[in-house]
Amino acid sequence: MTATTSALRGRATPAPTRGSGGRSTSKAARLIPSGIAWILPAFTISVGLIYYCIGYSGYLSFFDWTGGRSPMFPVGIDNYVRAFTDPIFWTALRNTLIYFVVVFAVQVVGGLLFAALMHSRIFVASVYKVIIVIPVVVAPATLAPAHIQVWQTDGTVNQILKTLGLGDVAQAWLGQSTTSLIVVTLVGCFGSVGFGFILYFAGMSQIDPEMIEAARVDGASNLRMLFSIVLPNLRPITISLAILNFITALKLFDNVWLITQGGPAHSSEFLGTLIYAQTAGTSRNVGYASALSVILLIIAISVSIAIQRRGRERAVKLEEPADV
Amino acid sequence: MFEARTIRGRLLLQLVATIAVVPFLIPVVTMVARSLSGSGWANYAAVLAVPGFARFFLNSAIVAGASILIIYLATMAASYGFSKLRIRRKEIFFWLMMAALTLPEVVLIAPLYATAVRLGLLGTFWAVILPIAALQIPFTVLITRGYIDGIPDALFEAARLDGASTWRVFWSVLIPLARPMAVALIILVLINSWNAYLLPKVFLINDDMGVVTLLPEFFRRQYNDDTPKILAAAVVTAIPTVIAYVALQKQFERGMAAGAIK
Repeated sequence: MTATTSALRGRATPAPTRGSGGRSTSKAARLIPSGIAWILPAFTISVGLIYYCIGYSGYLSFFDWTGGRSPMFPVGIDNYVRAFTDPIFWTALRNTLIYFVVVFAVQVVGGLLFAALMHSRIFVASVYKVIIVIPVVVAPATLAPAHIQVWQTDGTVNQILKTLGLGDVAQAWLGQSTTSLIVVTLVGCFGSVGFGFILYFAGMSQIDPEMIEAARVDGASNLRMLFSIVLPNLRPITISLAILNFITALKLFDNVWLITQGGPAHSSEFLGTLIYAQTAGTSRNVGYASALSVILLIIAISVSIAIQRRGRERAVKLEEPADV
Repeated sequence: MFEARTIRGRLLLQLVATIAVVPFLIPVVTMVARSLSGSGWANYAAVLAVPGFARFFLNSAIVAGASILIIYLATMAASYGFSKLRIRRKEIFFWLMMAALTLPEVVLIAPLYATAVRLGLLGTFWAVILPIAALQIPFTVLITRGYIDGIPDALFEAARLDGASTWRVFWSVLIPLARPMAVALIILVLINSWNAYLLPKVFLINDDMGVVTLLPEFFRRQYNDDTPKILAAAVVTAIPTVIAYVALQKQFERGMAAGAIK
């Protein structure tokens, strides 16, 4: 980097702007050099690759294709019809929704509580902080074997239940279609509370202490203050968390694949695992995977626009008096 | 935030925090405890002695390093262009890029797989690095542009009036001034590329190209479900990340928060 800088320094000092950036110094009114060449690399990599993939996905979604060198059969909209008539697809959508609602709720409440606790005078607060943030920074794929140990029949959860005298509740959490989604969702909560904590913790240090003081003088209890004063003030963070969580739920793959593989009997299937199995699994159909991808994309974009728009409307209403 | 004026109140808060933290400890404690069952520390010795173990870390470093370099350079240049230079219909370009902001990578898997097979890119690092870069860049450009918008134009004009070229302004004014943002950006990309699992799983199909997130499966095949050794491998894999986080807590948190607050 330094070499480049000094090389440029050598020739550039008195000369007019040249090269990629500045063609326009001839026009006096437009002193600012053109920047089109500067955005080109980022634009090519991201917009180029992503839009190409989306377009190609749309094209592939009208074919029946097992990938590789095998022939492609045009099937019209059959792949889309198949998706909407496939009960596994609807299970995956239902699971996505349940996962989103539960993980988001736990993340907001848990993140907020931890952030408030760490802003209070707690002994060895930094140790507590590290414990809840570790699941966020360590790869889900690395922690998945640990979760299997926790939830399997002779695992930690069942041992704890037996110690507490709740042996009747102990069960094969991973092996039953009634409980596999619970495990995946709880693992999701485990990995996301720390993230909510980080955002809320940062946000709370920017809240005006006088507002807190005023509420306290008015006799608000700790919890009341947290949910009626602090949380509304951190609304932009909560909206960001909602969008991020929804996208996470839509693309969920790592934990599900490594812990339950979407099973048993597709009970913990998500769109991510469905698409993966159709792209690289043994009985694959890349065309069907593409159709599922297109559907997922449409859901992702429309929901994040909807959340953002609602969030902005409310934010405007809240901010108007404060801006004066 | 919570106020506890009495000793009793403070003890109560401490107790609440301790109970709340227990569920987060259970998987970690289970992982470490089970990894030592059976032959104890010998499990770790066996894992570390597996040929090619270090290769997984090297491969992850290659993927993360290349992603960081590409994303950093592309983001800084693009943010400079968007924020301080003249581009016709700038906002159209910007929104074209931002439309990809919330794109889940799983959407790209099927078309990328088909393309990689045709171009012979299956089993190369590019098949992982380029999609990672493509998916992160809209986001990093959004936050970096916001940051650079906050740097007064006067600084750039002054440099230009002194005769500095656009390049010179970029390297000597923008890059140093944007350093705090760059640290957050690099950490964010580091976490995301080091922890990436789906893209490597699909595209890095040979064991000698495996990255750290593929280690548990590698060991499952190697050891036929010898659980303590699989867990020992997971612990070894997690340690560098945990050390990096504990050592650079502030930077990590800023990097992750950059993801959502803007």
